[in-house]
Amino acid sequence: MLSTAFYVGAALLLLGTVLPLVRIGGDGVMRRIALFFSMLALLVFISFSVFILYTNQQVYLAPYGIAPGLVLSFRIDRLAAFFILLISVVALSASIYSVQYIGHWHGEKRKNILTGLMNLFIAAMLFVVSSANMFAFLFFWEIMSMSSFALVLFEYEKPETRKAGLFYFIMTQLSTLFLTAGFLGLNAVTGSFAIQPADIGTGAAGVVFLALFVGFGIKAGVIPFHKWLPYAHTASPSNISALMSGVMIKVAIYGLMRFTLTVLQPETWWGVLILVAGTLSAILGVIYALKEHDIKRLLAYHSIENIGIILIGFGAYIIFTNNNLPDIAMLCLLGSLFHVLNHAVFKSLLFLTAGSVVYRTGERNIEDMGGLVKRMPYTALFFLVGAVSISGLPPFNGFVSELMIFTALLQSYALVDPFMKVLMLSSLAILALTSALASACFVKAFGITFLAAPRSDNAKNAKEVGKYMLLGPMILAFLCMSLGIFSYQIFAGAGYVLPIPDLLLIGSFLAAAYVLAWFVLKNVSSSAERMGETWGCGILTQTGRNEYTASGYSQPIVRIFSSIYRTKEVREATYFDESKSLFVQGSAEIHLVKFFEEALYLPIARLVNSLSEKVSRLQNWNLDTYLAYVFIAAVLIMVYVGWFI
Amino acid sequence: MNASFLLYALLNTVLVVLLSPFYMGLIKIVKARAQGRRGPPLLQPYYNLSKLLKKERIYSKNTSAIMRATPYINIAVMLVASLCIPLALIPTPTDGIGNVILFLYMLALAKFFMALSGLDAGGTFGGMGSSREMSISAIIEPITIIAFAALSFSLHTTDFHQMFLERAGATAFLNPGLLLIAIPLFIVLIVETSRVPVDNPETHLELTMVHEAMVLEYSGRDLALMELSHAIKQTLYMAVLINILLPWGLTSELTVAGILIAAAAFALKAGLLSFVTGLVESSMAKMRFFNLPSLFMIAFFFSILTIWLEVFG
Repeated sequence: MLSTAFYVGAALLLLGTVLPLVRIGGDGVMRRIALFFSMLALLVFISFSVFILYTNQQVYLAPYGIAPGLVLSFRIDRLAAFFILLISVVALSASIYSVQYIGHWHGEKRKNILTGLMNLFIAAMLFVVSSANMFAFLFFWEIMSMSSFALVLFEYEKPETRKAGLFYFIMTQLSTLFLTAGFLGLNAVTGSFAIQPADIGTGAAGVVFLALFVGFGIKAGVIPFHKWLPYAHTASPSNISALMSGVMIKVAIYGLMRFTLTVLQPETWWGVLILVAGTLSAILGVIYALKEHDIKRLLAYHSIENIGIILIGFGAYIIFTNNNLPDIAMLCLLGSLFHVLNHAVFKSLLFLTAGSVVYRTGERNIEDMGGLVKRMPYTALFFLVGAVSISGLPPFNGFVSELMIFTALLQSYALVDPFMKVLMLSSLAILALTSALASACFVKAFGITFLAAPRSDNAKNAKEVGKYMLLGPMILAFLCMSLGIFSYQIFAGAGYVLPIPDLLLIGSFLAAAYVLAWFVLKNVSSSAERMGETWGCGILTQTGRNEYTASGYSQPIVRIFSSIYRTKEVREATYFDESKSLFVQGSAEIHLVKFFEEALYLPIARLVNSLSEKVSRLQNWNLDTYLAYVFIAAVLIMVYVGWFI
Repeated sequence: MNASFLLYALLNTVLVVLLSPFYMGLIKIVKARAQGRRGPPLLQPYYNLSKLLKKERIYSKNTSAIMRATPYINIAVMLVASLCIPLALIPTPTDGIGNVILFLYMLALAKFFMALSGLDAGGTFGGMGSSREMSISAIIEPITIIAFAALSFSLHTTDFHQMFLERAGATAFLNPGLLLIAIPLFIVLIVETSRVPVDNPETHLELTMVHEAMVLEYSGRDLALMELSHAIKQTLYMAVLINILLPWGLTSELTVAGILIAAAAFALKAGLLSFVTGLVESSMAKMRFFNLPSLFMIAFFFSILTIWLEVFG
């Protein structure tokens, strides 16, 4: 019964992939049918995964051999079901949103390709998390990577997009390379490709873990492997950004958790590595986000930050487990997993609503927006819900998962090792800074984009988006709220009674206090009110130009953290006389040094370039030379066989 | 969640709301006297609130619902956050309501909306205040967390109710570790309540101000709510400091006499703390904005020192 549900869902999704590609030039009917199929499929997957989550059972599907020796096998347990649930929920909203959103591009062919690839992308992600052997895992992982690569390149005419595509392609292939190496390493020790507990020596396990950590870390956007993420998420269409940022990077987290928890036995230093990488990603992610004015890139940097928070929880879980503190460890793991779900929900919500704003204003720069709260009130409301959630404020969902991780880290007094205590506390302090900076960043993002007076004509003439583009985000906004308010009950229902505040109670208190304050004041105070101008030191009418800008808003923080941004100032001046007293003309420029690009990526790229140049000298397009190579190779093989075997 | 908790909630809320404006006025008087002025009457903040309730509200044409909702959100958050911090009567810990993180993030919620309302009118002052407030709050946040971490390291709990219970039952006069935490907690109090040397609560329309710039566009009952919320926030931070450092009089038993004594003891101790705050404010000049991180580092240092004592002591 359960496996049938899976097959039905999979079949519907694949139909949704094929249909728009079959009648590629059609009038859009196929596209709508395909989206409808994918919505149906995702509803099936949602009920399927919720059922497994709450009954805590495992589902095995019949293995499928695509070639002798290469078998795709599937198994869905609670962890996989959890990820299926979050992929399906986000993908469902993105599909609903896409009904209208896809319509605004030109060319039926393109729109159909976008729809088909999007469904393929969703299907691939669902299959990755259902895989029971490493071959299936890699197979679908590659489909996921390639379909998303094609989707990033959707607007391939723009040079910026082509650069993003190239970056993404290289990084994602590098990720696959490391994963393959890790899997082959596991296979070399155990002789099996099944994803099952493997008892291998600590040395081998450490090497395998490192390979997998780099592989998954690249895909998840962990600093310093993050550079593709802000490019790719900015360049792709907004519904795809929502999927990539909301779910695809979570698939990498799934892989990391699956292989460290199910397959290998984590050691404490793995936990330390994950914790440190997570802390670094969290703080640098948000610091980079603060200086961004491109709304989609700002959100992309916040994905790096949140992946960091997830990793902090996961790393702390390993450390607490290995120190025999199972209760605190459980709090960390559940907090980390809950944050995976929460981030998927609110980040997709933010990307979809940001997409609506870009769709209506044609701008990605928030300095050219403003005043949209009056023009796009529902979009503004949903964005606000996302902003409050991502800032980790009660009673929304982001708060609960952060609270769980915070509470667990605060309890690190229970640890024995002083080094671990100090490590946990440093991570705690940085996490607090991260979360406060995130809320500063979202005050900026929401305030500059939606509040006050419009800063450009495009913003002034913006209109609210259509109902499908509101319905998709609305589902997610509703989830943000209910996952927060009912968090205690949700965990209790799944069998975990946690030491966290009951937000249903707090939420009702808040609502009661709000209504009480409103009611009391309505009765005891004057209700007179009038409209006037904003006070501006005597300026009679305010325009968009009087307003605080986004750069101005984040300037204090940028200045405080200036050593991290690594700015480079270039000043040039010419003088009339030799003693440099009479100034003729000059210029001053401030450049942001792209630290990771210039210190890490480019040197590697240059190295590869120079190596390949040297290798290419071996190829001189001359038959004699190639014959000589063959001869040398043959001799070498004979020597090897003669001496060693 | 039971009847005794509801009783606690009612008592605590009423106490907080009634007492809070008093300390605002008291600090003003201490500062005035220190500067050789007579200062306003002790009950001036109450007169101000009642005056504001009678005034009309003026909204800028640019504003949205954020501007109108923020005062109510602020007061609601402060009232609920006050449940985390028992002033006099400590309830039996229920449903994790005393959670340290819950308290901090409730206040952050209020601040988030206040900062948004600063941007809502589109004026430069509001934007500037909002930007500065969020920057200060971002850099003070790790210090606050570490101070609270030091508390939980010393008292082995992450719940305010339990912390206070433990302190109320403590026989030792003063724990040296906790004495050290008093310094960062005091600095946090100064920062969070926008006082000299971080901000200047007296100035209006000066380029030095932070908090006052944010609420510049508010008038009438909205302003009354914002001021009351600010006063409540100050009382709550004072209560954390007082009940950790000087827990005498705190009671966990539901008797009329006990509660009365506890409330009176709190009022007295908070009066003393306001006096100290006023003196500290008068003896300092406002710091330049970008010198603030060094003040915060002092707080950070003392928190870390406490933790060091706990970890390696």
